Amino acid sequence: MDAARFEAIVAAYGADVRRWPEAERQAAEWFARTQPEAAALCAEARALDSALDADIDASPADLRLTRRLMASFPRPIPVLRVAAALAACAVIGLTFGYMRAQTLSGDEADAALSAAFGEGLDV
Amino acid sequence: MQDPDAHLIRRVAAGDARAGEEIVLRHSARVLRLARRMLGDASEAEDVAQDVFLRVWKNAGAWRAGEALFQTWLHRVTLNACYDRLRRRRETPLPDVGAELADGAETPDEAWFKRQRAQRVREALAQLPERQRAAIALCHFEQASNIEAAAALEVSVDALESLLARGRRALKALLAEMGPDLLGDVGDVRRD
Repeated sequence: MDAARFEAIVAAYGADVRRWPEAERQAAEWFARTQPEAAALCAEARALDSALDADIDASPADLRLTRRLMASFPRPIPVLRVAAALAACAVIGLTFGYMRAQTLSGDEADAALSAAFGEGLDV
Repeated sequence: MQDPDAHLIRRVAAGDARAGEEIVLRHSARVLRLARRMLGDASEAEDVAQDVFLRVWKNAGAWRAGEALFQTWLHRVTLNACYDRLRRRRETPLPDVGAELADGAETPDEAWFKRQRAQRVREALAQLPERQRAAIALCHFEQASNIEAAAALEVSVDALESLLARGRRALKALLAEMGPDLLGDVGDVRRD
């Protein structure tokens, strides 16, 4: 660690050792402790650090946003639920058709079948 | 380096909603703070957070552990989303932050002065070029490592340091213009 590198570190990361590059932190700390020119550089950088720290925001995301983000997770439509819905539709349709068929005369039933499947159907 | 989120992302890709919730709990606050810092707008930052997590859900299956830390990728996606929004509103003037201050200005106590100082910092940050602002947001406010921040910005560590140093110089000048008291605290190296 020389003076030029120490100055570059402080100019980029400020005076708080926690922000200094991990690989050089120990050497930079040693420089700060032992070299007289380090104190002035750090003092100047610390003034800006303190000003910026006035706007440190460590608040967690609020609950409403957290819920909104969690709700955006794509939920697959359960296959069983879809199958059950289709089966229910089929049962209702067949039941309704069977009940309706019981109330029709033979001609009405023919007419209903023709309407449903076309005139050409041979019934 | 072992990615602490790798197993969660694999579970997210498999459709595990619990893992999705865990990812939200771990990272949403940081994404939101970074977006707020970049955009200066809380509501827009929430929209960015929503976009970012939708991208996480969509791309979790394509995630390759080892290429970059998930958190680094998340920072990159957040910053890109912010850059897009900043580009779109380039011509729109910044909100009148002075009006916001006036609302809470009845009691001139310490908290009010702290809020005022924080507001000045936000104003100064808003005037920085986007990439300098992003570098300072990551390294100073989120305390990302230099390697992590450089990866998120897709630059070398040298280039990151250049962005940081230029950003800090500009901030110092801007804050000094706004008021000498803003740069009043000086002292030795902080070790706490």
